[in-house]
Amino acid sequence: MNSRKSKRKKLALRFVLKRYSRIFLNTLWNDNPICRMVLGICSTLAVTNRLANAVAMGLGVTFAMAVSSVSISLIRNLVPRRVRMIVYMIVISTAVILVDRYLKAYFPEISEAMGPYVGLIITNCIIMGRAESYASVNKPMASFIDALGAGAGYTFALLVIATVRELLGFGSIFNIKVLGPDWTSWVIMIMAPGAFLVLGVFIWVIRSIQKSYDATP
Amino acid sequence: MTKLLRKLMDAAYKILEGNKILSRFKPVLGATDEFFFGTDKVTVGAPHIRDSIDLKRYMITVLIAVLPCAAAGVYFFGIRVIGLIMVSYIAGGVCEVLFSVIRKKEINEGFLITGIIYPLILPPDIPFWMAAVGIIVGVVFGKEVFGGTGKNIFNPAMVGRIFLAVAFPIEMTSEWRVPFADAITSATPLISFKGMGALASNWNLLLGNIPGSVGETCKIAIILGGIFLIITKVANWRIPLSYLGTLAVLSLVFNKIWPGSFAPPLFQLLSGGLLFGAIFMATDPVTSPFTQGARWIYGILLGVLTVCIRGFSGYVEGVMFAIIFMNIFSPLLDQMILGFRFRNAGK
Repeated sequence: MNSRKSKRKKLALRFVLKRYSRIFLNTLWNDNPICRMVLGICSTLAVTNRLANAVAMGLGVTFAMAVSSVSISLIRNLVPRRVRMIVYMIVISTAVILVDRYLKAYFPEISEAMGPYVGLIITNCIIMGRAESYASVNKPMASFIDALGAGAGYTFALLVIATVRELLGFGSIFNIKVLGPDWTSWVIMIMAPGAFLVLGVFIWVIRSIQKSYDATP
Repeated sequence: MTKLLRKLMDAAYKILEGNKILSRFKPVLGATDEFFFGTDKVTVGAPHIRDSIDLKRYMITVLIAVLPCAAAGVYFFGIRVIGLIMVSYIAGGVCEVLFSVIRKKEINEGFLITGIIYPLILPPDIPFWMAAVGIIVGVVFGKEVFGGTGKNIFNPAMVGRIFLAVAFPIEMTSEWRVPFADAITSATPLISFKGMGALASNWNLLLGNIPGSVGETCKIAIILGGIFLIITKVANWRIPLSYLGTLAVLSLVFNKIWPGSFAPPLFQLLSGGLLFGAIFMATDPVTSPFTQGARWIYGILLGVLTVCIRGFSGYVEGVMFAIIFMNIFSPLLDQMILGFRFRNAGK
């Protein structure tokens, strides 16, 4: 009797895990926020000149997105449709202010280097997009997993782009010189045009791997 | 000799078609074959050719016109220039072959021109690896991402040079080798005019005995090539004429108003990459407009932009930016002219 119950429990657990991992992988890879949705591009271009900034930005956005998605999912049935955007905005701002204060207190250099872009996480389209399209119609746990997946996908894209840009632009990785003192810095990689170039190539490569083009019928 | 070659080619085709892995490299063989024996295909995309010559002869004509400039570059800056040209052909050619193999397309001979023009607009002392980076960026992002020769918006050689100018500003703008001297660097005429208001002698400017990019210094070679191109009707005379004319008129006027920042017309015409750009790059049949009216407007706007960038901005030379900038507008200009011509057609 007891064993059957535990077996059923195990099956249910496996089913739940499978479902959540599918949600996670879906937003991480298939619907990657940068490559498929092409959202949050402004911050991607702005903070990827150093890997440290990219890590801080990726974690910050992931945290803010997880907090706001869960909160929005909890109150999704209480919010009138007409004012939902404003309510979401308040929730997201609260989460972002937490991130901003935390960075200022514990990592002042990174906070200094990223300047206004921490505060601008509020306007990151991925957060609003996940809130509007997923968290407002799904249960809290699923929304949480979804937000984590989107955050991981965003961080993954930032890390790849920042690695290329920092390596070519400064010859270093995490501020440690790896290409030797004779390395000629590619100034374009530090500036915005280089970011556009690397971002374009990144999206090109990922979409080639996924074999999914907008032009497919 | 030709019979032997033909037999060799046919044998190579047979080998390629029999082998699965090797057959991917068919475009390479096709290009070699066409190089020797001509082609029986009709050109489909731009440049639109309305003559009996095909794309290959067309490109070869441009190649012949550029050769005097290349020779002058070798004469003034030494054997290193040949190395630059080889790097450009090899690095760019590998990209070209790679793309045509992956996309299973013919290799296009448009690259023959890009590959020779590109090293001619580089500073002679640039490291070889930098030149390779530039041509790879030019071929991949200037041409292949748009779909290959005939579909590109920007001149690939110019894209490569602009990338280098933004990525390596020190190497690209400050070290100009003096002709016939190996280790002496000095400022180009345009830089010394901007810095001290000094004017180089027109005779030296014409002969090319000045520091500058590899192919742009010897104006006589460029003019010879330009006359050849215009006589064979490969380049349209309207663009260089309106470009140079606008620049001369504007610099005459502005020189009277602000003599400190605008040089007199003759100096402006003979210095920097202006002549080279006007004759070989602004007339590029793919990236310039194809209607005659649009060509006039295109040339005039190029002249205005070049004078303004030279006089008002921090850059000493504006030909590169002017041409890339106007490349964006050439389809728009064409559309405007067509709309104007056919304004009564719909009624």
